[in-house]
Amino acid sequence: MAFYDKLFNALGLGDWCGETGADAPLSMADLMAQTDGAEATGSFFPFPSLDNLNESCSSIIQSRDVTKGIETGFLAAKPALKTFLDPITQPLSWLLDGALWLFELTPWFIMVPLLVAISYWASRSKPVTIFVFVSIMLLGLVDHYDVAMQTLSIIFVCTTISVMLGVPIGIAMSKSDRLQKSTVPILDLLQTLPTFVYLIPLIFLFSVTESKLYGIAIILYAIVPVIRLTDLGIRLVDQDVIEAANAFGMNSRQKLLRVQLPLALPNIMAGINQTIMMSLAMVVIASLVSAPGLGVNVLRGIRNLELGVGIVAGIGIVLLAVILDRVSKAALTRVDMTRVKH
Amino acid sequence: MTEPMVSLRGLYKIFGTRDKEVLHYVQGGMGKEELLAEHKHVLGLNDINVDMQAGEITVVMGLSGSGKSTLIRHLNRLIEPTAGEIIVQGEDVMKLSEDGLRKARQEKMSMVFQKFALLPHKTVLKNAGMPLSVRSHDEIDCDKEAQKWLDRVGLSGFENHYPAQLSGGMQQRVGIARALTANTDIMLMDEAFSALDPLIRTDMQDLLLELQKELHKTIIFITHDLDEALKLADHLVILKDGYVVQQGEPQHILLNPSDPYIEDFVSDINRARVLRVRSIMTPLDGGKVPEGAHGELDYDDTLETMIAKSGGDTSHAYLVTRNGTPVGTLEMTSLVKALVPRVASEAGARQY
Repeated sequence: MAFYDKLFNALGLGDWCGETGADAPLSMADLMAQTDGAEATGSFFPFPSLDNLNESCSSIIQSRDVTKGIETGFLAAKPALKTFLDPITQPLSWLLDGALWLFELTPWFIMVPLLVAISYWASRSKPVTIFVFVSIMLLGLVDHYDVAMQTLSIIFVCTTISVMLGVPIGIAMSKSDRLQKSTVPILDLLQTLPTFVYLIPLIFLFSVTESKLYGIAIILYAIVPVIRLTDLGIRLVDQDVIEAANAFGMNSRQKLLRVQLPLALPNIMAGINQTIMMSLAMVVIASLVSAPGLGVNVLRGIRNLELGVGIVAGIGIVLLAVILDRVSKAALTRVDMTRVKH
Repeated sequence: MTEPMVSLRGLYKIFGTRDKEVLHYVQGGMGKEELLAEHKHVLGLNDINVDMQAGEITVVMGLSGSGKSTLIRHLNRLIEPTAGEIIVQGEDVMKLSEDGLRKARQEKMSMVFQKFALLPHKTVLKNAGMPLSVRSHDEIDCDKEAQKWLDRVGLSGFENHYPAQLSGGMQQRVGIARALTANTDIMLMDEAFSALDPLIRTDMQDLLLELQKELHKTIIFITHDLDEALKLADHLVILKDGYVVQQGEPQHILLNPSDPYIEDFVSDINRARVLRVRSIMTPLDGGKVPEGAHGELDYDDTLETMIAKSGGDTSHAYLVTRNGTPVGTLEMTSLVKALVPRVASEAGARQY
């Protein structure tokens, strides 16, 4: 006799409920109680959860049906999703594989000077450039050059795509309050959802052998800051200057290209910096789904309890992170400086 | 009388979502505070009727919250009116399409802002050339025109500086150069000199008057400073709580304030510096040129000049000439009378 029997009878729902759920699948609590050899009694006043209600009324679903429902729902939608998503995400696989191939093919004596040159061009700062050079040489010294380049190629592709998608989305959000209101919860969700949770549906949708699987996971996670800060940056543009642009008859395209984007650039750059950092964070977790690079070594360290391997790879990631952060921050300050240089 | 360059007819602006619905309360005589208390709508402008003549400086003056900045933004429809007509060069601005409005803003009206509103990432030269580049003139053309006006406002040599490297006064010179580069007949100046310190402000006022002598633009100038208003205005409009308290020739308003509010305003200023001989002289009206004058004064001299000439001797009398022809006489005693602020009298308050 379950606790909620009387309630259903009192509500006159006895008939709808039918037989008491003797033939229903056992709940986990029941199973535990059985193995203990005792009858499942439950507490004096159990929480009206689905499982407890089901004991009194078999017409009510059990909690396991909820998770099962989500699963069957997702699996049912999978073919449709796959036919839709597969073709449009295929270029991402090509890009990731292509970049990987290119980064691995380029010999180190070309790649290292190239990276140093890019750092100098972006940051115009000698200390930063020297730091980049020393770090890459250190990574190479402990034979981590190849894996570091793999990681770098993934970040390069994912950040580029994030910026290319994120900036237009941010611009659209800044133009429409309604769009902003509806997008912000999605961005919040993407940012707070535990990183592993991204992977679960993606594994169902795509094969683990496809590089777009980790590409999508990284982009979904890393695109958020660049969207947010583009939106914010454009909204923060001095209203007086916008008014002047209007007063001299600029159309919205001219306003965007000549006023809003240039003035929002420091904020957008800050967003790009964050995007790079977040894709680096995700690239490690993505090694769980066959993303190559330093993350693989970290994973090996965990799986095989190879302390040294894990820690060296970890330090390699830190070095890479600092390189990317310093270079992009220096570029940011340079952009900002052009407004107040003397 | 020639057609006015800009003419506002029955212009109302109410801020709020139901502005059209509450309009009839205002037209029925409801005031600003009542409207806010009863309908939660803010009255911006209340039945404005102003004509602005070509080639004149029309100054709109009022304290903060009187609606003067709202008023100037209606001329190029940066703010949409609730009701009324805005006629610029015979064309109703309210009837313009989006493209037409943009074209009007580009080619008919340029604007100078209180906070300069320059593009911080562009050089002074590019900032000044902006109105032309918006109209897709080629770069050489923009630069040439911008350079010409930068030279004219005294900024030669600063072309490649960024706005942040210039002082406030210089930034506003760029703002003026930008408005001049647009080469429009109408210039809207929204508290253009209010953010500058007093000495620079005087310089800028002189610059504006000098430019005006040469260019004869139709200037609509907003200010909260009466001295500035009197110095610049050909036509003065005084706003209070969104309605026009008095408008007309500044000298006339000064001598015949129609309202205690204006009386208050004008009692604070240095009348000797602002009032001109022509406003208080006794006209000759074709009569005989009197003898025994202590000297001659120009029609447009201020009373200050006359006091200086007389050395403070109140028994002096002067002959007033215009372009060398005697047009009137003025005694020191009437000058002293004119210096005393008058309480507005019913008879003296001539309405325009």
